[in-house]
Amino acid sequence: MDGKVIVVTSGKGGVGKTTVTAAIGAAMAMQGKRVAVVDMDIGLRNLDVVMGLENRIVFNIVDVIQGKCKIKQAAVKDRRIDNLFLIPASQSHEKNVIRPENMIWLAGKLRKEFDFTFLDCPAGIEQGFKNSIAAADEAIVVCTPEVSSVRDADRVIGLLYARSIKPRLIINRIVPKMVENGDMLSHEDVLDVLSVDLLGLVVMDDKVVVSTNTGTPLVMQKDSAAGSAFQRIGLRLDGHPDLPIENPMGQKGFWKKLGAKFSRKN
Amino acid sequence: MTFNAILKKLFNKTDTKDVAKKRLKFALIYDKLEVSDDLLKNLQQDLVEVISRYFEIDRDAINLDIRRSEDSSALVFNTPIVSARHCRESTA
Repeated sequence: MDGKVIVVTSGKGGVGKTTVTAAIGAAMAMQGKRVAVVDMDIGLRNLDVVMGLENRIVFNIVDVIQGKCKIKQAAVKDRRIDNLFLIPASQSHEKNVIRPENMIWLAGKLRKEFDFTFLDCPAGIEQGFKNSIAAADEAIVVCTPEVSSVRDADRVIGLLYARSIKPRLIINRIVPKMVENGDMLSHEDVLDVLSVDLLGLVVMDDKVVVSTNTGTPLVMQKDSAAGSAFQRIGLRLDGHPDLPIENPMGQKGFWKKLGAKFSRKN
Repeated sequence: MTFNAILKKLFNKTDTKDVAKKRLKFALIYDKLEVSDDLLKNLQQDLVEVISRYFEIDRDAINLDIRRSEDSSALVFNTPIVSARHCRESTA
């Protein structure tokens, strides 16, 4: 059976697409799936450093498309997790060197080799985005609970629907304390504004920076709240679509209970 | 809800997230309503063509615009009518 190609996109930069791609890819490989993660940001590659594989790159995606090597030669095997492979971006080419038809061809090959392929889309809605969605079966849209990010997510969701690709949303970097204080959009607020299904909620977690520092997979970090959220997202993507989405708001303490009584909205 | 949040409620302060949500909703509505000058020009041409079948209008004084207020948007088409066509035809 053919595998699935899933694009990870956001419109706005810096909301955590690369982190999400690396973490979900690692989570699903640990669940026993054969997984490829592809860096689509030609000229500005980053997925390799996030995964700690930057020293092992020989060929890249442009080499595959130009026929200079096979997919197997370009795919870098993860050091720690079996069945996880990275296809790096080229650092030296122009982003226009890849066309949507090249990606459709590549995706056809990847579906034969891997159960799941995640395309880490560059920010924006230009060539890199067009290349990524040309090849995708499904889409994950990442946003943070901020006005700018939600607006861009709305734009991208519209573009995906126009291509008949059904998007699902991950809300990243939720700060429960700020949400409680009414200083950050809650996930309900975000979903109220965007018409899209929710795939997962990820809490702001210092461990993300720590794991990027060392290039170790977030899902292997002990007690990482974000890591466990990504593991659950991985399960939701394969075989457990109804796994409940945890509310990152946590337990209610004394003040919170008292506050709930005072609040007119609750 | 934390202690600070309770204080905020007691002093009747608006949550910044509610401001954010409101701004976001309007931004998304406006984004979707954004139309190009070309589209407006084509619409104006079509409107003039249809209206000209029934009225004689002053083509130079036509004004087509999108007006936006807090919670709604309106397409406003303004044209002075010189005379009604069917009247002229019946008297002719």
